[in-house]
This record gives sequence, structure tokens and C-alpha cells, in this order.
Amino acid sequence: MTTIEEPAGRIRDLTDEQFQTAYHADRFTGSVIVNRLKYAVGHMSTAFLREAFSPIIRDWYDFACTISGPPAQDYRMAVVSNSLTPFLGTMPDATRNAVEEFGPENLSPGDVLICNDPYRGGRHVNDVLFTRPVFVAGEIVSFVTMCAHQLDMGGTVPGGFSATKTNVYENGLVLPPMLLWAKDQPVRSTFSLIFDNTRWGGLLLPDFQSMHQQLQLGERLVRENIERYGLDAFLGSLAYACDTSAEQMREAIARIPDGDYSGSALIDADGLDDTVDYRVRVTLRKRGHDIEADLSGTSAQARTCINCGVLDAKTALGVALTMLLDPAIPFTSGTWRNVDLVAPPGTPLSALPPEGAPMMFWEPSGALISAIFEALNPVLGERAVGGDYGSTNTHNASGVRDDGTPWTSATQCGGEHGPWGATKEGDGDSYTVLYNLNNLDPATETIEHDSPVVMLRKEHAIDTGGPGKHRGGAANLKDTLWLTAAAQHLSPFRTKEPSGVGADGGKPGPTGAMWIFPPGEGTSGPDGLLGVSSDVYARSTPVAGVLDPETKALDPEKGVYHYFASQKAWLTEAGSVLRCLTNGGGGWGSPFEREPAKVLADVRDEYVSVEGAARDYGVVVVGDPHFDPEGLRVDEKATTRLRSGRSDERGVS
Amino acid sequence: MIAVDVGGTFTDVVALQDGEIRTAKVSTDYTDVTRPVLEGAALLGVAGAPVFNHASTHGLNAVITRTVPKIGFLATEGHRDILDMGRVWRPAEAILDPGWRRSFGDAARPLVPRYLRRGIRERLTASGDVLFELDEAQARAELEVLRKCGVAGVAICLINAYVNPAHELRLRELVREVLGDVPCSLSSEVSPLAKEYARASTTMVDALMKLIYADYTARLEKGLAELGFTGQLNFADCAATLVPSHRAMEQPFRIVFSGPAAGTVASAHFGSLIGESQLLCADVGGTSCDISVVTGGEPFVDTTFELEHDLVVNALANDVSAIGAGGGSLVTIGATGEIQVGPGSAGSTPGPACYGRGGTQPTTTDTCLLIGIIDPGTFAGGELALDPELARQAFENLESDFTLAQRVRYAYEMAVHNIAEGVFNVAIKNGVDPRDYSLIAYGAAGPMLLPAAMDAVHCKQVVVPPNPGLFSALGLLSADQVFTVNRSAYTVLTPDVAERIDTLFAEMEAQLRERLSADAAVTFERSYDGHLVGQSWDTPFVPVPDGTIDEPAVAAMIASFHDTYQERSGNRFEMIPVEGVTFRVRAVLDTPKVEYPELPARAADEPLTPVRTTTLRYLGEDAEGQEALVYERIALRAGDEFDGPAIVHEGLSTTHVGAGQHLVVGRYGELVIRKK
Repeated sequence: MTTIEEPAGRIRDLTDEQFQTAYHADRFTGSVIVNRLKYAVGHMSTAFLREAFSPIIRDWYDFACTISGPPAQDYRMAVVSNSLTPFLGTMPDATRNAVEEFGPENLSPGDVLICNDPYRGGRHVNDVLFTRPVFVAGEIVSFVTMCAHQLDMGGTVPGGFSATKTNVYENGLVLPPMLLWAKDQPVRSTFSLIFDNTRWGGLLLPDFQSMHQQLQLGERLVRENIERYGLDAFLGSLAYACDTSAEQMREAIARIPDGDYSGSALIDADGLDDTVDYRVRVTLRKRGHDIEADLSGTSAQARTCINCGVLDAKTALGVALTMLLDPAIPFTSGTWRNVDLVAPPGTPLSALPPEGAPMMFWEPSGALISAIFEALNPVLGERAVGGDYGSTNTHNASGVRDDGTPWTSATQCGGEHGPWGATKEGDGDSYTVLYNLNNLDPATETIEHDSPVVMLRKEHAIDTGGPGKHRGGAANLKDTLWLTAAAQHLSPFRTKEPSGVGADGGKPGPTGAMWIFPPGEGTSGPDGLLGVSSDVYARSTPVAGVLDPETKALDPEKGVYHYFASQKAWLTEAGSVLRCLTNGGGGWGSPFEREPAKVLADVRDEYVSVEGAARDYGVVVVGDPHFDPEGLRVDEKATTRLRSGRSDERGVS
Repeated sequence: MIAVDVGGTFTDVVALQDGEIRTAKVSTDYTDVTRPVLEGAALLGVAGAPVFNHASTHGLNAVITRTVPKIGFLATEGHRDILDMGRVWRPAEAILDPGWRRSFGDAARPLVPRYLRRGIRERLTASGDVLFELDEAQARAELEVLRKCGVAGVAICLINAYVNPAHELRLRELVREVLGDVPCSLSSEVSPLAKEYARASTTMVDALMKLIYADYTARLEKGLAELGFTGQLNFADCAATLVPSHRAMEQPFRIVFSGPAAGTVASAHFGSLIGESQLLCADVGGTSCDISVVTGGEPFVDTTFELEHDLVVNALANDVSAIGAGGGSLVTIGATGEIQVGPGSAGSTPGPACYGRGGTQPTTTDTCLLIGIIDPGTFAGGELALDPELARQAFENLESDFTLAQRVRYAYEMAVHNIAEGVFNVAIKNGVDPRDYSLIAYGAAGPMLLPAAMDAVHCKQVVVPPNPGLFSALGLLSADQVFTVNRSAYTVLTPDVAERIDTLFAEMEAQLRERLSADAAVTFERSYDGHLVGQSWDTPFVPVPDGTIDEPAVAAMIASFHDTYQERSGNRFEMIPVEGVTFRVRAVLDTPKVEYPELPARAADEPLTPVRTTTLRYLGEDAEGQEALVYERIALRAGDEFDGPAIVHEGLSTTHVGAGQHLVVGRYGELVIRKK
């Protein structure tokens, strides 16, 4: 097998001969092979999405595909599909650890090795790794790998999503590296192990079969490249792809000033009780081309399954640095070459078995991303980025229809999607996916077709985008009417402090909350929509958020924290309405520098109220936004007065 | 018969008169799009023509550039942000980019700003039952706001209206009351399919197209009448099927993007003449290469397409993938020093450096000029003299350690590679083995680049049709008139639903008959989109038997599903029930099509003679260059054959036959290139 060494200089400065020596291919061939492999993972993904049965795959895109090098290349991951970075970042390690433990010498052509252990490979037990070796002349030259969320992997909670499980035994079935297919023949004992210990095998089986097809397709496409360009060029190109990421990251790191930068983010509580909150702390030490992230000072690991393993922390670090320093850096094994992680064991970001179970793993790793944003935003100047809505605020519910059939609804009706922060490019999008995720939004009509629920509102909430020269995206407000009695589980983790941090002088987006409105007396449901003003909450049952004890409306300064798991399950009568309001996205730049015309347009579009325009932007808008949107105007004199009078007080330059 | 294809740069006009194909190319005019159409029509004469078939990217351009009329959008209260949210998925290049935003979102360039998207108090459940009655007083008040804002049209999409259209229908009456006779599109009529976002965006596009095309059609009809045209004006839709103009105006979302599809239909029709039914079609123009597939003589049709990332339209559309690779693609140096070609383009201004119009960056046209594939004196029919020195300077000016020879060679190889990859990926995406497929090379730059892509694509052969530069427009004279009705009705296929499905098809066919004249020679084609119970993405166009749908017919529908599914996915899950989602009927009217004249064989006394030889440089490692023979296409005869390296020259295109390739001239003058 050819050995590959990192070249001495910058890749673009290499002569043809040096490039050829380093990567066993000319530049053209090198970039061609990398592109072809990117298409290969794209084709595998598209086919799987369209064939999938699990709602979380077909409607959410909760899976990813990668191609890695052989053991001799330390399983370097050269290309990734478009989807969830928590998958993509952990998959190189997951593949390496699974294959090394199983023994590469024990693999044969046509094998599919699986593993779902979060400590061996990151993420949670539902995300099962499927890797297939590609052999040439009796030797492994590559791995094509998929990782896909399985609807259920056993454990005490159907579907798995829950913040309440207290150890790995409750969390779900752990699969060490084992074969699911051997030489393309299904391994009965493995299938039996899985289906004897998990729910909804009828959905899982055809998805497994579809994945087997996609892995075969991936292998075929890899082989085609090797046949066309030669094995040496193929292996060299994997190195070229990773070196490209490493070099770009190294140069991006060098562009920020040397120094120590600290940030933190708060996780409200775990699933046991609300006596403990969890602070994620990071100190970034930047020297020359290198950066070190030190998690010392982070709280001890959570008592329930809201932790993640250290591989997820590593992934979050790579994600945050790429986003802040150079979003164009390809995400490969090379991303971390000049990045070090110091993680004390036993934190929510480096949890240990058996108690530190990882289930809601993206919540602490997302908090680390927020903390890194907070640490680096001050030195990035205009390249700083406003924070997002911080948590998927996951919802799950189940019940029984009038005809006796059971139903479940998972990750659709809480605050799963919400806004992004603003950047120098412009206002943040409202209603999108967390920075470290990328997936589809299930259609309201699909949700209502599948479960006895009516989504009454799914809209942007007014005055919830973090003020700034560029405004953060607006929070999402979702009202769902449940047509049967239901047991509801909600897992919001970031309601105590804003997750939508401000950037470059911008203000943070406000925090969100959740409420349940019981049906009115003697009625089976509402006869219209709930209002959105702060006086509607008094008759509600608060589920989460920092709220006024009397009015039960949001009050981040003086309010009381309401704990999302104060009831094991929120049991609701038929006709109840659940309201979930996400956090708002962070603003970018001083709000007093936002052009009055843009503030006017925001008032016209009901992103900002007349009061909010004066309070947050110092812009006085006159008129009726709802019934005469084009008749609105800016009172320029009053605006000038307001802006000049308050610029000192607000510390605006 | 006359056909017009309004493209971004040129408006192509072709006429079939007395068995002869006549062509004209007029510059597209953005201030009055009908002008070049009428100019071209006047050039070729339309007085006696029975049909005038029209395709245009006018609608697409209006959307992309946001030069759209002001419309209102009515949604169920609580759901007016459907059009801002989309499906939230971001593209691969934005996976780690916090600066990315949806192109059509409120934070970027919305097509309907939020204040013109109004929530209406009403609610239907998933089964179509009324949860909240339509609040007419509230609706009137909201419409009053739209009236005050002066909207020119209205799009309406209510949640679950695909099951029950009652509230949408009543809202339209209220629109009439308050706003008068403005164009109004209902989602339950435009695209009665489940999943509200795609239905809403389709309905919005429909309302926009009603406004954009109504005036356009009126001017076109008037102008054509003045030219003496008395025949039928047809619009091509996104699948390049033809629709009479008055019908097209009822559902104009179908014609939003009709240009590229015509090339696929032209290929399918020409393929049927030369006995090739498995085709990869590649249209290489100035800025982009449009790629599509024909299998078994039929274009591959998708049930939706995107105008921009995630800006979805639910229209049957030939699956045409565009990549940024054409004659004008820019040659640049990438971050690690590699030569890159495209996706940026020099466009028509300033154009390639060799045009001498001020362009300083090299393009693929400059590359081909320096290699010697393009003749500087006779480019584009000799209308534009090219300057190789400017091309050379542009290459010299790139910041790179490569020699000039390497730059040109790599730029050429990369240009060919990009197109080859695009074609290969479309083949993989559609699950076809390119070795069984002929690559049809058209568009002005297609014949110059595609034969070189043959090895990387692994296709059977490359076919350059006659008039490759205007071939797309000929597709409009190769298309059928098609009427369609689609309806969504989630139905798990079991013996007891036979009657329900039978009624559904009977209703849809009756609806189609109403639109057709009683004596029309018409065939109905039925199909359905379905999935295995539990899936969310449908397998489209599963065949449905003709005649009464009874129990055996349902069994046949289920069996066809499993066959179709296995063909596409490799798996067969007969134990899982099949759910029908969208049922479709097409009425296909036999339509006269273009006939290509046969080319005579060579007479004994006129030997095949090249006009000259030329030297091709920078191809591969060969430092000396290759001597290539140059032929004029007009002088070729059926059955002629010769080896590459060779150049075949014609008015608007150049075909490059590579070393190791062999060319045979076919019966209709097509150039068939294979490996030796």
C-alpha cells in the first residue's frame, strides 16, 4: 500500500512534480476524484431519502453518508454528504473505532459492519453506523459509510427521545461492532438481536435493506474511480481532500489575533429535577496557526441522558470554527489538524458510562457551539455571527384514537425549527434549522394526516428577532390542538439565557417558553385561534420558560423558571392546545444603525411592532401596520431625537 | 408549422415549410419580449402556417430577477409564513455557512412580502371537515387591505384545501366582490396535492404567470394576426408538451420554464427516426449545459422542479439538470492552484476574451480557439472575427505557475470533464447505464465539446443532429398536444377500493373530454404516483390499466408498483401494502411533427474532400500538435465516414472528432461518432 505524507509547503505552491509525489495524481485528477466521490455520497443520500420508511429519515433527512480511507491512512474521511454535521464530524472516528475493534483482518468483501455505541462512535444509540469495506486485490482500500437514525433502538422510552433516562441501560440497545451483512448475506443473529430488542421493526427492516442497496451503490462508484484513475491516485486524492481542509483551516486560524478567548452557555436543567443547571465553558487559546479549546470549568455530567460523548464535542468544535472562520472549508478529517480539544472527563460534553447517558446529544454540543460563538464574536468584528434558537425544544406525544388505534408524534410539534442569527450578509432567516443540523421540515398536512393533531399556528412571532443593524430571525410560534387525550414530552434546554447571542454590537434574541391551554369549560376545543398578546397566558399551564408568576407571560428579568419535566409526562385532555415559542436569533451590528426604511418595512411586515421600533431601534413609526401597511411612515424628527438622545445610554458608537 | 424558443440570449425561430427546415436567430429583447418573436415570425412568414408553437424562459426570468407583479397571498390564519419557510433544507455548499439565507425568504428577496400575505380565519382538518367556519367579515377586511395596497392578483392556499376546496372557492367569490376581476389562483385547482408548501409556491407562481403572460399572449396574438396568422397558437409547458394558448392561460404555472424541455423532446423525436430510444441529451450553450435523459423513447419526467433552491413548482417537467458549463465559462485558478472552469460565465457581454469586447478572463471558447478547434475567421457564420492573441493574453494573465500550454490543456480537459461529470451524474441519478445510451450533442457549443466527453461518460456513441444550434426549437415541432388532470387521494390499494378508483378515473376523464372537441382523435393514458405504506416520497407514473377499474385491475396496479419500484430502487417489498397518492390522466392528441429530410448518398463522381487541414495544439501530452482534416458539414453525404482528429464545420457550430474516434454520416445527416 502506498504511503502518503503531508507535503512540505502550501498546496497551491507545489510544483506539478511535488503535487504528483505527494498525491500520486496530477492536480486535475486529484480534484476530479474528490468531486466524483462527493457525487457518490450525494447519490447514496438521495436514493435513501426517497425510499425510506422512518418518518425521521424521509421527512427530516436524519442520516449522512461519507467515504473514508483504509486503515493504513488512519481511516481519513475525505468527503461527506449534505446533512447533519453531528453525524459527519463523528463518522470518521466511528468508522475507525468500529473497524479497529472488529479487526480489519476479519472483514470480507460484501460485509456491512454496524455499531451504535455513543462512546465508541459519538451521537446516540438511535444513530446506527453502517460501514462497508471496499476491497481491491484482497486489501481494504476504502470504506463507504452511512449513519442513519433508527426510529427506535429499545430502551425505556418509545422512540428514545427523552431527557429522563438515567443510565445507558435505560437509554437503549447498545450494539458493539458486528456484522449485519456478511458477504452480502444477512446475518440472522444480528437482525434477531435488533428486532428482539427494538420497537417498530416493520419500519426498520425495509430501511436496512435500502441502506444495503445504497452501500452497494457507493462501493460501485468508488470502484469505478479506482478502475479509471488507479488505486494510488484514488488514495492520494483522499489525502489531498483532507490536506485541503487542514490547510484552509490553518490559514483561517492564523487570521484571528493570538489570545485567550472565553465563552459559556447554559443548559437549563436535566430530566431529573430543576435543582441543577449545567454551564458549558470553553477557553480558546489561539497561537499562530494553532488553536486549543479547553472545556475546563464545565459542569459535571448531567444525571440524565442530556449528555454527549467527547467525539460530539470534537465535532461541535470543528463546526463552530468552520462557521466562524471560513465556511468554505470542506468538512473532512483534516478540519481538526491544527485544532486541539482539552476535555476533562465526566462533563455533559465528555460523558462517561454507565450514568452519563447520551440521548439528547446535540443539545450540549449545540451549547458548545454557542459558547464558542460567544468567545470568538468579540474578536471577529464584522465577521461575528448572531446566535440561533439554541435547542430543538423536542416534542413527543402519544395517545389512542377513538377507534382504539395508538398514535405517536415525534419531533414535529415542539420548537424543533426556529431562527438563525444575523450576520454581515444580512438579517437572519426565521424558521430554519439549528446551525449544526440541516434537514427537512415536515409538512403540516403530513403531520395532520399521520396524527390526531391540528397545527393552528406555525408562524413568526413579533418582536422576537434580536435587534441589530441586521435583525436576527424571528422566533417560531407553534400552536397545536390535540384531538385526543395525549401524553406529551417536551425538552427545551435553553430558556434561562438567550441562545441567540448578539454579534458586533447587535442585541440577543429573547428566550422562548411553552404552555398548555386546557380546553374551555364544557367544550371539546377552541372555536378559534389563541391570541398572541401577553394577556392570554393566565389560564394556561406553563411547561417551560422564565415567566411572570401571575400572568404566566414571558418575563426574563423578574420571572420564575418553569421546569419542562416537572411532570413526567404532560397529560392533556382532548381539545388542549400546546404553544411552543422558540428563542429568537441574535442581531448583528448596532440596532440604532439600522436604516429607518428597513425598520419601517419590518413594522409593515409585522416583524417589529410600532412600540418595538421605538424601543429597540429608536425609530418612530406612525400608522396602522395591520390595516394600512402602506400608509405607515417614519417620523424623522422624532426618530432623530430618539436616536441621538439614547445613543449614550445604549452605548452605541 | 412555426416554432419559437425564447432563450436568455437569443430567440430561435424555426419553420417547416414544404418539407424544408428554415431557421432564424434574433437577439432576445428584455424590454419587449414579444418583439423578437414577431420579428422572427415575420422573417419566416406565418400566413399559411397551421400552428405556431411557443416556448419561453420569460416566466422563469421574471421570477429569478424578481420583476414580478404585486400580488396578495391568502393563507389559513396562522400559516401566512409558509412561503417564507419553504422546507428549510439548505444546499450542500451552505452546510456550514451562517451567512446563507433562503433566496426567496423575507430576509432576502421574497416574491410576496409578508404584509401582502394575509391570514384568513377558517380551518379544515386533514379529513376535509370544517373545524372553523370561514369568517367572511374578517376575510373581507383582509381583502380590503389588499385592495388598498393595489395588488394586481391573488393566490390562495388554505391548509388541507387539497381535500376540500369549499373555503378556497368561497374566498375567490369574496376576492371578486372586493377586488373585482383580478387574476386569482386557487391551490385546490392549480395543484390539489398534499404538502402545503409546494402547493402554495405553485399557486403563487401561477398567479404571477397569469399576470405576466396575459398581456404577453394578447400582444403576441395581435401581432401574429397582423402578420396574417390564422392557425393555432400553442404554448409548450415544462415537459415540452403543447397546450393551446387559451388553455395555458388557465394554469400558466405549467409554462413557467419551457425552453430546455424542448431539447429533450427534439432528441426523443429525432432518436425515434434514427432508431435510438435510449438517449442522454446535452444542450451546451454559452453559460450552461442542460442535461436530460430519454429512456425507451420517452423523456424522464419529474413531478416537481425548483426555480431556485427549494422554490418548488408542482408541474410535470422533463428532468433537466443544468450545470454552469458552456462556451462562455470562465477559466480561473482555485485556492490550491488548480485550474477551474465555470460555473461563472462571461455571458454575451463582455463575452470571451477573443471576442475583443473587453473581456479579459479566458473562457472555454478562448480555449478551443487556441487549440485550433474553432476557426477564428468563420465563427458564428463569420459574423464575428475572433482574435487568438487576446485569448492568449487572457491565459497569460492568469496567476499560475503553469506554462501556457498547460493552462490551455488543463482548461480544455476541465471544461470537458465538467460536462462529462454532469452527464454521468444525471445518468447515475436516473439509474441508467450510460453504455446503452447515445449522447445527443446540441446547442451551439455541444458538438465542439461533447465528443471528447465520450470516454468519461461511457456512452455508446455521440450523435450530432442537423442544425445543432437550433435543435431545441425543433423540439416544439416534435411535441404532442397534451391535456392532463391530476388528483391526490390517499388510498391504500386493496380490492375494496376498486370502485372508488374507477369513479375517480371516470370523473377525471369526463373532465378532460369537456376540454376536447368531440371528434378529436385522442388516447387517454392513466398512471398514479404511489408509495409503500410508511414511505413519504412517491414513486411516480406507475401504469394503470385502461377500462373499468375492478379487483383484477387493482391487483395489476399493485403489481406494476412493485415492478416500477424494483426497477428504480433494487428492492421489492411485496409484503408492504401500496398506497396510491396522486392519480393522473393524460389525453394525448396526435399532432403533426417535423420531418427531417433525408440526406442523399454520395455520388460516385464527387469524392469526399476536406476543405483544408489544421493543427490542433495542447491536446494531451502531444507537444507537436495533431494534424486534423477540416470538413464542411454541408458537403457531407449520407454514409460518409472518416477518422479523427477531424473538424466538421457548419454555420453556427463546430464538431470536433477526437483522435481515436470515427465519424459516420447518417441517413438524416446526423454525425455519429464512436470510438475506433
